Parts: sequence; C-alpha cells; structure tokens
Amino acid sequence: MLKRVLRASVSFLLVLALAGLFSHGVFVVCGADEASTSVGDADVAVRQAFNATLDAERAGANVSGLILRLNEAGRILTEAEIALGNGNSSEAASKAVQCIGIAESVKSDADVLKASALDGARTVFWMSLTFSVVGIAVFVVVLMLVWRWFKGGYVRKMLGMKPEVAHDEA
Amino acid sequence: MKLEDCKVVFAAVGLIGVLIFASPMLGLVLHLPGGEKFSELWVLGPRHMAEDYPFNVTAGVNYLVYVGVGNHMGSSTYYVVYVKFRNETEPLPNMTTGAPSVLAPLYEYRVFLEDNSSSEVPLTFSFSNVSFSGGQSTVGGLAINGVPFGVDKSVSWDAVNSGYFYQLFMELWIYDPASNGFSFHNRFVTRWLNMTASV
Repeated sequence: MLKRVLRASVSFLLVLALAGLFSHGVFVVCGADEASTSVGDADVAVRQAFNATLDAERAGANVSGLILRLNEAGRILTEAEIALGNGNSSEAASKAVQCIGIAESVKSDADVLKASALDGARTVFWMSLTFSVVGIAVFVVVLMLVWRWFKGGYVRKMLGMKPEVAHDEA
Repeated sequence: MKLEDCKVVFAAVGLIGVLIFASPMLGLVLHLPGGEKFSELWVLGPRHMAEDYPFNVTAGVNYLVYVGVGNHMGSSTYYVVYVKFRNETEPLPNMTTGAPSVLAPLYEYRVFLEDNSSSEVPLTFSFSNVSFSGGQSTVGGLAINGVPFGVDKSVSWDAVNSGYFYQLFMELWIYDPASNGFSFHNRFVTRWLNMTASV
C-alpha cells in the first residue's frame, strides 16, 4: 500500500516537473524577489515605451493612441505594485508580464510611427526648400525684368520732356 | 517721383516677396518659444465639482473624490500622483524648497497626458479600525480604491476647531526622460478630514 502511494507521488511530481519544463507560463509560482524583479522590469519597460512615444511625438507623429495604451500599461503596473506590496507575488508577476507586453508593443509601434513621421517630415522639408528656392529665384527675375521695363519707361519719359524756363515772380 | 525713390520701393517690394517665398522654409527652421510650461493638480468632490467634499468621516463608509491632472508642458508627459495620509504633526511637502513629504505613499496613479490635455480619476477611500479614547483618535486602516492599507495614525482632540483632524493629500511627480527618473513637481492638494464616531 505504502509502495503504491509512494510510486503515485513520485509519478505525480515527475509529471508536474515535466509540465513545468515544457510549458512556459503554466505555473506562475513566484517568490517575492522574482516578482519584485518583474515589477521593476515592467517599470523600466513603461519608461522606455514613454521615451519612444516622446521621440515619435517630437518627430511629428500623432501619439494619441499610444498615450491611451500607455495609460493602460500604467494602470496595470500600479496594480502589480499594489499586489507586490500586499505580498501577492503571483499576481504581481502576472500583472508585470501583462504590463511589459503592452509597453513593448507601444515601444515597437512608436518606433514605426517615428520612422514614418521622419519620412513625412523629410518630404515636407524638401518640398518647402524647393518651393522657397524656386519661388525666390522666379520672383527676383520677374522683379528685375519689371524694374528694367519701368526704368526704361521712366528714362524715355524724362528724355521726352521739354525744358521750360521758370520765371521768378518776385 | 525720382528714379532713386522708385528703386527704394522696388527693393522693399523685393524684400517682402523674398520673405513670403522663404516663409515655408523659415517655418521649419525657426522655432519660436512657446508659452509658459506648467502642470495642474486638483481634487473635486463626488459630482466633479469643487463642493460636497467629504469632511466629517467615519469608519466603514466609502467616500469619493476625483483627482485631476492637467498637462501644459509643451509635450506629452508622464506623471505619478502619490496619495498620502498624515496626522497634524507629520510633514506636508515643502513648497519653498520643493521637497516632497517624507511620508511613504499609500497609493499611486500613473497618468500619461498629451500636451494641453487633462485627466480625472476617481479616488474612493474608507477607514477601518477607528477608535477614540482619552482625547485621542486612532485610525488603523485606510482603504483606497478598495485596496486596504495599514496606517496606524493617531491625533489628539483639536479644541480650537473641535475635531480629530487627519489629512489626505496628493503629490504630483513628473518623469524626466533625460535623467530617466521621477522628481517631485512641487504641486500637491490636500483634504482635511474630521474623524467622527458617527456622522
């Protein structure tokens, strides 16, 4: 009887160990240190996601959607920290993983948006430069032609005038 | 009109024209200074108005206020609002030195805001393990948004204002991407709470 129980227990433990080995995320049994590290990683991930969002915004991208998702990540990070503070390591680690997932997706999307915004900005820059240079050149040439025409007319008008003798009435 | 005068008029017209054609390029290169940069922090009553704030509080009752943050920093900003609880002898933040209160935060909100936008979040709180004896009141527990915290704060009877006064206050912290850290933004809001045996 004892032998059978022992064999069953060993088999169960073996199955448990194998399942834990081959399936990531099935068992979330975390110590406080591990959970604390996960929450710290989540905090760093959120900061990096925000930095990337800020870079995208500075490049001229619309980051409204990213800000919404960052708020979601921030809310989950707060929940993870509260769970950690209450000694619920398992929930803290799970929330931290969820937060890191959102933060990494925000960072990746922010990088794409930044690249796209920089492309757009480059196009706008070259269009503006072309418009300004060509516009100024054409304007100056036209102005000089008008000046020549005006000056010629002015000189002809002057030469066509008859001299008059002025009398001093006094 | 003399020819020299006409030349001046043409030169002026030419200068104005060049500036007009250069304006798209100048707009990209020149950056004018923006307005004043600042952030807002406020607390409102349960109807999103500056009225009906909880004041006389008792154990076991849920109270609601709204905490608001506004961003006018010129770009998207990452804020943290720390919720703290003190008795009358414990320190508030120091506005002169810009130092936060040394009390540990009980709860926090992480808020991301675009420039010129604001956000309001609900803050519910309730007290537990409240006792009164010998002219003293003691609060053992404070739950914020359903999360219980052990606080263990005591105050003496305030004979001048007739009450046992505690203070719930919120500090605004701002994230600085350059230093990759948070710093106290020198803004905080407070609510005095008079602990009573029954309202």
